[in-house]
Amino acid sequence: MSQIEMPSVQRKSEDSIRSLRHVDFRPMKVLYNNDYSNNYIHSNSYPQKHVTNIENTVEGYPKLQKLFKEKSRQIANYATKPYGCKVDIDEMIPTLNKWIQNDKLSFDVVMIGCLTDNQLIYPLLTQLPLDKLISKPGFLFIWASVHKINELSKLLNNEIWAKKFRRSEELIFVPIDKNSPFYPGLDVDDSSVLEKMQWHCWMCITGTVRRSTDGHLIHCNVDTDLTIETKETCNSAVPSHLYKIAENFSTATRRLHIIPARTGFETPVRLRPGWVIMSPDILMNNFRPKKYKSDIAKIGYNVPLKNEIEILRPKSPVSK
Amino acid sequence: MQKIDITILKFLLDYNVQLIRPPLSGQLKDIFLIFEKELNSNYTLASDGNCSYDHLTFETFVGIIHEINRLTNNAITLTDPLLVQYDKNKSVVSHIDTFSLKILYDMLTNTNREKQKQKQKHKEKHKEKATDYGPTSISLTDNLLKLLNGNENCMDPETHCDEAHDMLLFEVPLKKNLYSRLERILKEEPISYLLNKERARHSVEKFKYFPICHNREHSHLLSQCVYISNNKIVSIQWSKLNKFNKVSQQNKHHIFLQCIQTHIHYIPNLKPQTDLSLGDCSYLDTCHKLNSCRYLHYLQYIPETLNESVEKQSKIYNSREINNLMFYTHGLCCAYSNKLLLPPQWIRCDVRNFDFTILGKFSAVIADPAWNIHMNLPYGTCNDIELLELPLGELQIEGILFLWVTGRAIELGKESLSKWGYEVINEVSWIKTNQLGRTIVTGRTGHWLNHSKEHLLVGVKGNPQWLNKHIDIDIIVSTTRETSRKPDELYGIIERLVGQHARKLEIFGRDHNIRPGWFTVGNQLTGTCIHEMDVRKKYEKWIKSTTAAATIS
Ligand SMILES: [Zn+2]
Ligand SMILES: [Zn+2]
Repeated sequence: MSQIEMPSVQRKSEDSIRSLRHVDFRPMKVLYNNDYSNNYIHSNSYPQKHVTNIENTVEGYPKLQKLFKEKSRQIANYATKPYGCKVDIDEMIPTLNKWIQNDKLSFDVVMIGCLTDNQLIYPLLTQLPLDKLISKPGFLFIWASVHKINELSKLLNNEIWAKKFRRSEELIFVPIDKNSPFYPGLDVDDSSVLEKMQWHCWMCITGTVRRSTDGHLIHCNVDTDLTIETKETCNSAVPSHLYKIAENFSTATRRLHIIPARTGFETPVRLRPGWVIMSPDILMNNFRPKKYKSDIAKIGYNVPLKNEIEILRPKSPVSK
Repeated sequence: MQKIDITILKFLLDYNVQLIRPPLSGQLKDIFLIFEKELNSNYTLASDGNCSYDHLTFETFVGIIHEINRLTNNAITLTDPLLVQYDKNKSVVSHIDTFSLKILYDMLTNTNREKQKQKQKHKEKHKEKATDYGPTSISLTDNLLKLLNGNENCMDPETHCDEAHDMLLFEVPLKKNLYSRLERILKEEPISYLLNKERARHSVEKFKYFPICHNREHSHLLSQCVYISNNKIVSIQWSKLNKFNKVSQQNKHHIFLQCIQTHIHYIPNLKPQTDLSLGDCSYLDTCHKLNSCRYLHYLQYIPETLNESVEKQSKIYNSREINNLMFYTHGLCCAYSNKLLLPPQWIRCDVRNFDFTILGKFSAVIADPAWNIHMNLPYGTCNDIELLELPLGELQIEGILFLWVTGRAIELGKESLSKWGYEVINEVSWIKTNQLGRTIVTGRTGHWLNHSKEHLLVGVKGNPQWLNKHIDIDIIVSTTRETSRKPDELYGIIERLVGQHARKLEIFGRDHNIRPGWFTVGNQLTGTCIHEMDVRKKYEKWIKSTTAAATIS
C-alpha cells in the first residue's frame, strides 16, 4: 500500500504524522548495494565521497580508537621539536652530503616528496648516498603522482636498488573531489583514459625487521594503505596523515622529510614535531645538526614501549 | 613611457567608476573627449607638467590604451578588441581593473621621483639605527610578499635592499596573477572529455540509488521499533515510530520519518550475547558466528515503498528518448542505435593451454589471474612465470587491457604488460568497503600495513583513437563479496570507455562474471556457450584436433 494522495504538497508535510497509518514500512527482502560509479555519471558525486568512515577511520572500533589515542600521545611525548631546513632544490644534495660526512647524521625514517607535480625525485635518489643517510633498519617513503611512481619503479626495480631497499607496500592518497587542493589535475601526459584521483607512495624497508619479534622497532597493521582526504587536511602541501602513517609504523624518533619541489603560493609546507623537514618553501629555517643531535640524545632513538599500546595493537603470530 | 601615458593612467584610475556608468557607459570615443577636456582644463598629475598635450589624437589615445593593456595583462576590458581596429568609435570599455593599473601607476611614478626620496630616507635611517628594523622599514606585508616570492634572505635584515624591496612590492601580485592564470589554462580539460561525460549522462542507464543515513540516533531509534527474527527484519512497529517521530520533531531534529522513507538505514541486530562496549564486528554481515559473536552486527533496512518509488523514478529517467539520436558520435559503433547486444558467451578451458587465436580480436580485455601469492585459494592457480608466458599480446591490435594485481604482483604485472606490448597509462584503486560503507581497517589484511584497496593496472596498446576518455575516474568504491570476487562497477566503466557494442573479453572468469556483450574464459566456468558463428567453428575445429592428438598419443 502506498501513501494516500494529498491535495497539496504543503498539507502533506503537515499531516505526515496522521498519514503514517497509511505508510507501509515493510522491509525490502533483497539486499542492495549502490553502484557509486554509475551514480557518479548521473550525479557528478565522486565515489570516494560516499565512504562512511572518512573523518573517523576507526569508527565503530573502540579498541582501535583507544590504540590511536595512546599511540599519538606516546609519539608526542618522545618527539624532537619541529625543525625546518630551508634550502634551494639545487642545494639539497650538497647539504645532505654535509650532514652525512661532517655531522655524521643519519635518520631511520626518510620521507621524500609530497602531493605536487614537478618533483625532482629522480636526481635525489640517484645522486644521494641514501644508504648512508638511512640507518639500518630504516624506512623510506616516496610520495609522488601515479605517473612518476610508475617511472621511478624502473629505477627502484633494478637489482642494486632492490637489494638495498625492499619494496614493501604501496600506499595511496585520495582527494575528496575536484575542488580539493590535492586534486592531481591533468598530468604531463594526457594519455590517461580515466581521470586521475590519487597519489601513490612507495614504502621501502632497508635492513631486516621481523614483524612478529621486532615490536620495539615497528608496529604493523595499525594503519592502512589508504588515506582519503579529510576536512582537516586542507591547505598544506603535506596532509598530516602522511606523517602519521610513518610515525605509527616505525618507533624511530629520527625522521626526515625531503620535499624536492616548489610547492607554490597556495600550499605552505608546515613544520611538524618529531620531523626535520627540508624544503625550499618551509616556513622556518631553524635546523642545526648539533642541536638536533643533543635533542635526540635526550629522548632516545626509539619511542619506548608502553603496556597499554602493547595490549591493544594488532600482533602478528610468531612463526615457528 | 611618456608623461601623457601616466596622465591617462591617473585619469582612468580617478574616474574608473564614472567612466563605466551611464551616461558615458564606457564609450571609448566619449572617454577620449572627456579626457581631452580634462587636459585642457589643466588636469594635473602631481604636476611638474610642462608637457605639450596639443597633438593627442584619438588614434594615439587608443594606442596608449592598448599599450597599457599589454603591460597589465588586459586591465582595461574592451567589449570587442577587434572592433577598435575597424571602427574605433564603437568600441566600449566594460571593465577597468584598478588593481593592476594602480600597480603600474605606482611603478612608473616611483621610478621617477619618489624613489629618490625614499632611498634618501632609508639611508638616513640606516645611519641612525643600524640594527633596529622597526615596523617602518620592514612591515609585515613586505615580509609576506617576500615570502610569497620565495626570497631566501627574507629573514635576514642585512641583505635587505631598497631596490629589490621596491620592485617586489609591485612584481609579486602581477606574478601571482599570471601564475594562477597559467595554472587555470594548464588545467583546462579538452572539450572531448566534457562531451564524453555529457553523452554518458544521457545514454548510460541509471541504476537504483539510495542515499545512506549517517544519523546514529536514527539507527538507535529504529532498533527499538523492529522485530527481528532469524537475523532478518520481520516487521516495524509503526506506533513506536510515530512516538519517536513526534519527539524528534519537537527537538527540531532532522525529521525521523522522512529520513526512513528516503534513506538506507542500518539497524543494530541486538542479541542476548551482544556486548555493546566491544563495538562493531569486523566481519559484520559476513560473520559466520552470528549466533555467538559478542560484537555488534547490523541489518540493512530499505522500506519496500522506498524501493518501489526509486525504481519508478529510474524507469522514467531511463526511458528518455535521447538514447537513439546523438550528434556526438565519436567512439560509437556505426550502427549503435539499432545494434543488439550479444548475449553472454563463455568457454570453459584451461587458460594455459588454450589457443587464443580462436577468439579473434577485442577492444577491451580484463584479466584477474590468481597470482602465486594466492596459493591457498580454491581455484587453480597460475604460476607467475606461466602467466608471463600467456600469449596475451595476440588478443588486441590496439586496445585496452585491465590487469588485477595484488601486493608484490604489482611489479610483475607491470612487467607482463610491457612484455605483451602495453603501456601502463592508469592505475585504478578499488577501495574495499564493508556492509556499512566503511573502509576495511581491521583484521591484519596486509603484511606491514592493513590493505584497504586493490590495484588494477590499465594498459594501452597502439593508439586507439576511439576510446571515450575521462568519463570515469580511477577510483572504484565497492563492497567486498566472495573471496577474490572483483567489483561489477568495472564492467560499466569499461563499457563507457570502449562502447557497449565493442568486443570484450574476460580471462580467468567465473560464472558470476558472464554478462551480455562479454566473452568469458576460465577453468571454473560451467560448460561452454558461443553465439558468434566464426568463433564457434574455430573452437569446434580446435577441440577436434586436440582430442585427435590426445587419442593418438
Ligand atoms: Zn536516518
Ligand atoms: Zn561477528
